[in-house]
Amino acid sequence: MPTVLLLDVSLSMIRPVQISENVEISRKYLAIQGINTFLDCLSVHSRLEFIALVAFSSLHEERCPFTRDYNALKLELQKLEDYDKTSIESALQGVNQMVLGEWGNNSACQIVLITDGNSGVGPMSLSESFSTLNHRNASNPFPLPFSFPAKLHVVCIAPPDDPNLMKSKPLYQRLVDMAGYNGSLSVPDGGLNEVSVVTMFQKLAEEMYTSFRGTLKCGNLESRIILSPAPIPYIKVTDFDSQTYVLSELIEVCGYIPISDVGSPMAISRHLILPTSNLGKENVPLNMEIDLTEDDATEEGKIPSFCVLLHGALKVENMSALVTVGDNWFGFIYSWADSKKKSNLMLTVLTPGSDVVPWLGDLNHLDSTDNLPPDQIGSFPVRPSEKRSYSQNGVVWIRQSGLQSDIQKILRHARKLPEKTQQFYKELNRLRKAAISLGFLDLLNGLAYIFEQECTQLPGSAHPDCALQLTHAADVLRKTQNKDIKFVILPLHTNYNSS
Amino acid sequence: MAFINNSKMFPANHKTIFVLDHTPYFGISCESPIEFEFLKSRAPGFIPFNPISKSLWTCSVESAIEYCRIVWDLFPQGKLIRFFASDTVAHIMNTWSPSQQNLNHVMNGMSLMGVPPPIRQTQQSKDYSVVHGLRAAIEALGECTDLQFEKRKAMSLGDGNAKLINKCRIICITSARDNESMKRLQEIFNNCLHAHNKTAIQSDRCLQIDHCHLVIIHTFPINIESQVTQQPPRNISSLLTTEVYPIKAPLISNKLSSLILQHYDLASTTVTGIPMKEEQNASSSANYDVEIFHSKEAHTAILKGNTSDSLAIRTIKEGLEYETVTLKWCTPRGCTSSELQNCTSMYRITPVEVNSRPSLCLINFLLNGRSVMLEMPRKAGGKITSHLLASHGGEIFIHTLCTARSVLEDPPSISEGCGGRVTDYRITDFGLLIQQNRLLPIKANYANSLPSSVPKVKARLSRHTKYWPLTISSTLIFNLKNYIDPLPSIITKEKITDEEMVQCKQVIYNLIALESKHEPLHLANIGQRSKGQKREEQYKIMWNELETLLKNNCHSETHKMVYNCLIECHKFSADDSDKVELDQALRELDQMTKSDSDVRASVIRATTDSPMSPPPLTSIASPMARTNQNRSGGIYSSSRSLYDIFMSQDKSKSRIDFAGRTNDNVAKLYPNLKIENDRGPKEMEAE
Repeated sequence: MPTVLLLDVSLSMIRPVQISENVEISRKYLAIQGINTFLDCLSVHSRLEFIALVAFSSLHEERCPFTRDYNALKLELQKLEDYDKTSIESALQGVNQMVLGEWGNNSACQIVLITDGNSGVGPMSLSESFSTLNHRNASNPFPLPFSFPAKLHVVCIAPPDDPNLMKSKPLYQRLVDMAGYNGSLSVPDGGLNEVSVVTMFQKLAEEMYTSFRGTLKCGNLESRIILSPAPIPYIKVTDFDSQTYVLSELIEVCGYIPISDVGSPMAISRHLILPTSNLGKENVPLNMEIDLTEDDATEEGKIPSFCVLLHGALKVENMSALVTVGDNWFGFIYSWADSKKKSNLMLTVLTPGSDVVPWLGDLNHLDSTDNLPPDQIGSFPVRPSEKRSYSQNGVVWIRQSGLQSDIQKILRHARKLPEKTQQFYKELNRLRKAAISLGFLDLLNGLAYIFEQECTQLPGSAHPDCALQLTHAADVLRKTQNKDIKFVILPLHTNYNSS
Repeated sequence: MAFINNSKMFPANHKTIFVLDHTPYFGISCESPIEFEFLKSRAPGFIPFNPISKSLWTCSVESAIEYCRIVWDLFPQGKLIRFFASDTVAHIMNTWSPSQQNLNHVMNGMSLMGVPPPIRQTQQSKDYSVVHGLRAAIEALGECTDLQFEKRKAMSLGDGNAKLINKCRIICITSARDNESMKRLQEIFNNCLHAHNKTAIQSDRCLQIDHCHLVIIHTFPINIESQVTQQPPRNISSLLTTEVYPIKAPLISNKLSSLILQHYDLASTTVTGIPMKEEQNASSSANYDVEIFHSKEAHTAILKGNTSDSLAIRTIKEGLEYETVTLKWCTPRGCTSSELQNCTSMYRITPVEVNSRPSLCLINFLLNGRSVMLEMPRKAGGKITSHLLASHGGEIFIHTLCTARSVLEDPPSISEGCGGRVTDYRITDFGLLIQQNRLLPIKANYANSLPSSVPKVKARLSRHTKYWPLTISSTLIFNLKNYIDPLPSIITKEKITDEEMVQCKQVIYNLIALESKHEPLHLANIGQRSKGQKREEQYKIMWNELETLLKNNCHSETHKMVYNCLIECHKFSADDSDKVELDQALRELDQMTKSDSDVRASVIRATTDSPMSPPPLTSIASPMARTNQNRSGGIYSSSRSLYDIFMSQDKSKSRIDFAGRTNDNVAKLYPNLKIENDRGPKEMEAE
């Protein structure tokens, strides 16, 4: 996952450290050495990680945008100047904006805050930030927790027994806790010197970039896999619950669903599934007596992998595989193409729970057709038991136009009586029912009056039934206005419609 | 982490009660007559009638119902609303039960309620007040909802540290004489609240109220000056926050629209530029706007991103107090539902004006199964597709699409990784397995009584894959479909009928008959390649593999009968020697297909390489990959990162030196030319 290196360049960073007699180096120098080590580790093991460099004092500046070119970062480190004092809050604010602008609010990121154990003094200090935490409003929020899933690692370039550090440590820890997702706070082991700082950064790089290894299983077929980027724990907060979920190492196929039925459900994260063959035993179906993988020298690409087979078949069939990724937690595996050429196996992780995709129903209650009698099997999409208001043809008269168009519709039908008798009374009853529910009885009187007026103005060519029905409707409207809504106005039986 | 949790859990919007004033005063007109202009234009001789106005009661009821409509459209579960009307007593129109949380139930309740009693001088002594309703509402807030009941039960079983917090909201639409009486109303309410909590302590069934948010809407006809002033949210006590808004009756709904956004963390989106056919002139189309409400979260991604971009799309809704985000309709091209979008959030939506023609037009478009992309303009130029509107099963959702850069930039293709060079996967057969294991929903009325079906479907997949070779070259029987079908599809069933068993046995008998007639087996999809194989070998391999398949699929007695039939009919020679031969045979088969698969991997190589050229580069571990594997002590020695995969890929693309040059000794060109020269053309044919 992308990483921001947030380096303190305040004056206190150039305080000297006595290395031996007559040899002094600055904290800043140590920090840069440490970062170089960190980058070296990455360039060997995780070259696809995006890293950005932000320098901060009372202000902050993006010195290097997210890049995979670690040498550019190293060069930039050499160019850093020294500025005034430390202000951690505004720096974190800047990081928040920068990551949101680049990766959005859904990609997990890591932030490494490198400072000297001085959390600042005066109004911009960290302790000041915390003391005003409860008086924040929407225009001035505290940057933590970040607007995206983030781990915060605080790295102190300070001797472990530094009195300033003692004071700041709880503050840093509070920052790490607020960010969530198990960040860390590192202090050099032993004294403050080049070796201890380099070791500290090396350890940090190890911790930060552990890959996720697991097994993808479909019945007896399985494949060892790596997920990229590595998933992070997910905290699901509902009205009555808050729970942390960690992805299981066993990802197991339940069955298959057409992509078009899956729709595009909300994903908490997406990961490439990369097959690995570390365990050697891969791809060997149970009790398979024919072993084709004896030749250890054969390159990985030539050992059949279940992942590749699954990918090919899903792509051809335009299907996705529903998988369990934890206890009562699901995901979808499907073929995904970044460009036209390169196609991949992708895992979309859903929000934990079995009812997270309304149109698929309860994911714990999906089954294949021949496991159940046909009358118990439904189809996708699953429909809710109740219709939503927009598909119910309800009555809303809050704006006058709503009421006006309802009346106009009735009058339109009235002019076409007797052909539109059914529609006329249907609309009339709908309006009457709503008026009674809303206690809007004046409307019924008004409508009766409108009908009577309409009668007097009917053109000579009008059907005789027209006048009869309108008069009848007006009468009934006047009579039944206090009665209950279950009453239905029925058409008047006349010679013209009694057939 | 505690920081995140506390702010979101136990929201007040789980329980809301509307307390509507049903005293005689609410029977008066709001003095805002309905326009009937359209009647005049139709009939010039129309005699105007007495103007019609809604009553204060009608205004309050329709606004409260509209509030519910929005909430229940967006949150079908878990956000409960009750209705109380108050005159001389409290009238309760629904309970917390989910079955009574719908518009029809409430509307029916309202019609039974009827209009407020008429104002009569003689009845002044009767005790008409909204306080009856408020008292009853406090009682009702002490009742457990289904969700709270479940949670309380779960908590009592747990560690006991967690506590159920009962927060709630009352929206009271009433009318007070002046500020003084409004203040008294709040004091009375506060006292009732404290009194309730005192009694609730002693009761098992009754919940304490941890916090109540009382929103009072003071309403009056439009021709009257309000004697009550607005009062922003104020903490009356630790239990109670109140706010007061004086609102003219026809505008209650506007006020509730602004409040509902705060109460449920909603946001407004205006979809702009919707092309719509004119009613009068069907050949032309004009552009319309439709406003929708949905969870605020749907906007997080675009509003928190680029500040100047987000400022450009946010405007204050005309005549109202809230902001709306304007996004442009993007006429859909192709079928967007056929692929999985990278969707970071999804929420239900509801149109703000549910009955307006533009809303209906958009809604029907979506309900008919089409989807709409929404675009957001960028300051830097261009635009970006930020959302997708689509209906699923009759409900409409807004999906937030990922607009940010992807961390999966430039990923390697699956064909570059493990198993990527193998070209004879049994894709078609696996496609069949996929179709056989398609999942469908169990109808809701049956599902409730059933346990989770996940273990069942997993077991089913396991049964279907007891013996399932991945590649064509690692199996013989699955390439003999014309001989062994339908046995493989029958044998993986959980139970097989006698008839199916007979079918399976028939397959075995037929094979025996063929063998005795010395008929060679023709491979379905390998074609002439089986030529090289001796007939006897072929049958031996076939019988052994068939035995493996059947032995692994003895799911029932009937399955065993099929297996036994095979054992009885075909005489298997001593296991050990047989196995060696089988392995040998398969290796030969494998050798043949392997060279074939390389050919497929690269047409160029196939047409230019001679049979004895150095092996294709992909099969030789590149120096880079080797060092990676041998590296020790490094922290990632065991992992193969994306980069490694990339690098080994790059290496493998460059050609290695011709073997004859790398060694010092001169190599002889085409040493086996004479022996093997019949293979070349064959491969070409295979291509």
